[in-house]
Amino acid sequence: MQDREMGFAGRIEELNKTVIAGVVGFAVGALIMILYGYDPISAYTALFSGAFGDLYSFSESLANATPLILTALTFAIGFRGGMFNIGAEGQLYLGALAAVTVSLFHLPSGIGIALSIIFAILAGAIWSLPVAILKAARGVHEVISTIMLNWIAQFLAFYLIAKILVDPLRAEKTISVAEWGRLPLLVPGTSLSCGIFVSLFAAIIIYLLLWRTTIGFDIRAMGYNPLAATYAGIEKWKIILFVFITGGFTAGLAGAVHVMGRPPTYAVYGGMPSIKGLGFEGLAVAMIGRNHPIGIIFAAIFFGGLLAGGRMMQLFSQVPLEMVRVVEGTVVLFLAIPELIRFFSFLRKVRIPLTFRIKRSQNKEGRQL
Amino acid sequence: MKHSPKLTGIIFVAVVLVIGLAMIPAVAEAAPKGKIAVVLDVGGRGDLSFNDMGYKGTDKAAADFGLQMVEIQSASASDYLPNVRNAARSKSFDLIISVGFLLTDAVAAAAKEYPDQKFMIIDSVVEAPNVMSIVFKENEGSALVGALAAMVAAHYGYPYVGAVLGIEIPVLFHFEAGYRFGIDWGNKAYAQEKDTNPNTGLLYTYTGTFSDIAKGKEATKAMLAQKAGLVYNVAGPLGIGDLQAITEDIKAKGKEAGPPFMIGVDANQDWMGDGHRVLASMLKRVDNACYNASEAVVKGTFKGGLVVMGLDVQGVGISKDPDLLDFMEFGIGAGKITAADKTKIVSNWKNMRAQVPSWIWNAVADLEKQIISGKISVPNANTLDEMKAVRSKYPLKR
Repeated sequence: MQDREMGFAGRIEELNKTVIAGVVGFAVGALIMILYGYDPISAYTALFSGAFGDLYSFSESLANATPLILTALTFAIGFRGGMFNIGAEGQLYLGALAAVTVSLFHLPSGIGIALSIIFAILAGAIWSLPVAILKAARGVHEVISTIMLNWIAQFLAFYLIAKILVDPLRAEKTISVAEWGRLPLLVPGTSLSCGIFVSLFAAIIIYLLLWRTTIGFDIRAMGYNPLAATYAGIEKWKIILFVFITGGFTAGLAGAVHVMGRPPTYAVYGGMPSIKGLGFEGLAVAMIGRNHPIGIIFAAIFFGGLLAGGRMMQLFSQVPLEMVRVVEGTVVLFLAIPELIRFFSFLRKVRIPLTFRIKRSQNKEGRQL
Repeated sequence: MKHSPKLTGIIFVAVVLVIGLAMIPAVAEAAPKGKIAVVLDVGGRGDLSFNDMGYKGTDKAAADFGLQMVEIQSASASDYLPNVRNAARSKSFDLIISVGFLLTDAVAAAAKEYPDQKFMIIDSVVEAPNVMSIVFKENEGSALVGALAAMVAAHYGYPYVGAVLGIEIPVLFHFEAGYRFGIDWGNKAYAQEKDTNPNTGLLYTYTGTFSDIAKGKEATKAMLAQKAGLVYNVAGPLGIGDLQAITEDIKAKGKEAGPPFMIGVDANQDWMGDGHRVLASMLKRVDNACYNASEAVVKGTFKGGLVVMGLDVQGVGISKDPDLLDFMEFGIGAGKITAADKTKIVSNWKNMRAQVPSWIWNAVADLEKQIISGKISVPNANTLDEMKAVRSKYPLKR
């Protein structure tokens, strides 16, 4: 399979693969439910109507999708640059807390929201800097450094939540984002805030960045073939820095829109039960969305729908939470397969056999490298 | 990679066949006389205490009154409001029970949006005419186990007792405040009996979670290393981890039975650990609360407002003989023990309790009487400042 820019027909074929993967995933999920004695028809009816059945359900799905678009973008930007950036989790914790911190002051609404977003973005970017610097200067693999920093961020967040930002009246959470700092609800009576616009806007910006600017071209070139890109004059350290900082921006933003947009509490609870996992779920969303900002938007809405519909599965089909999670996991797993296949065949073709190719070329007469 | 249409077709047909076969209509059940929803927080079921008690009580009410119970577990804190709201929106539930303090904001918001829907919340107060708020006097029950712990630790020669807590929410401050008072009272009672005050100290940790069992084990191990003789579990499912640490400590000494002991919480957990590693439990009758609320809805006597369940109405208490058999059924139902284990567990438990001198049990019973009669008032705390005040009054340091 060729790993270069696809024409329209190529994109349709890729979409086909994703759809088939999804169908198979749902079929396997149904099989599992039958094996355990649950009714998949009623379950899936509840799932789909709970995800997209009416305005309320669709709003809930979009609300779930809002932070996932952003954390998926973090991973996707890294992936397009040939790197495995899984630091969104830690960055989003700090982004959320940065947004909460702004509520310690008293500000008018427009400035308040803008400032919270800026703080959150900066927090995410600052947290991604060590990863970028370590990789650029010492070649430290980003998987290791991001995971370590995720843990550090988690415990730092626990400390901030319990001791510094704690609500004096309700010790189990931070102070709530002040009224003026909250993103207005888009659909009253649901969890959907204007944060969805922020996420969509970010996705479009990243798309334009990667496909319509020089630096975006350089990033993608570095992702396809690092040796050729370096040979062509693209400086690796610049790409690394740019990719991680931009990823940090979106991850921090994810934390901010979640805590500023999600009713009823608008705060971070001790143990962070509402934002934990958003980073890694974003990874799955990026995979399903084929690491393309537009695909990510659809994948995030789908994923958000799975979560929202899953609640309805519990409520109306009496499918217990554990089984809901099994079905969700199965579907996501199958949906991620097309991208995983592409990723691994890409690896096989370019990175590892590069040395073999060099040796073979030198053996042929007249060929030099 | 070419996808094979044939393969897809075969899978599709196979699935349809299987689903078709599974569509054999189920035997029709009697139409339920009502529906009750139980919404749980991220701690979820399987804690063998708080959430399981809520389920148990509602389940019993459903059986007794012919209701259908629907259990909704929250996968993440973002699900609290959508879950409660979804249940209210469906307009098919006579009562929505929310188990736990963490669901407060969700219930408050949903109760405003759906004023005709009846709600009940445990461990929190939501002021709305359609919400019944049931709170417990955990401080009173904790005082009893604190006194017991202090005296038993002194009797077996341990300098400390411990407490493994969850998240620093006001409910848990009730536990900590009562426990401190109880330990202090126990020290004084010991001094009266044996002429020296053992000054049993308190080691406590807020683990910050109600679901990570491993943290309970870690915290307990640390306390056991500092010679804590009893560890009070105030974090629901973390008790399972606490008990693991205690069991390992006991086995490392070549024994089967404690000390050190665990003190269970919410449900009667004395049967855990083969009946001789959990000395007592601080019962919090969440099951009775859920049962009463469901009964009230069925009988039409449901009223919004505050219900306080203390020692006097057996809303809380220390585990005693008759409770053990009832809760062993709980354990059997959860698959943790089998019916065959029952006799062994009961005899182990009786041995364990018999080895504690009777004057200690009498002192605890005496404290209970004094609290019920109002002679003794157990301190309480609802905010961090109040908790700090209680901490400085009963520092329990050595």
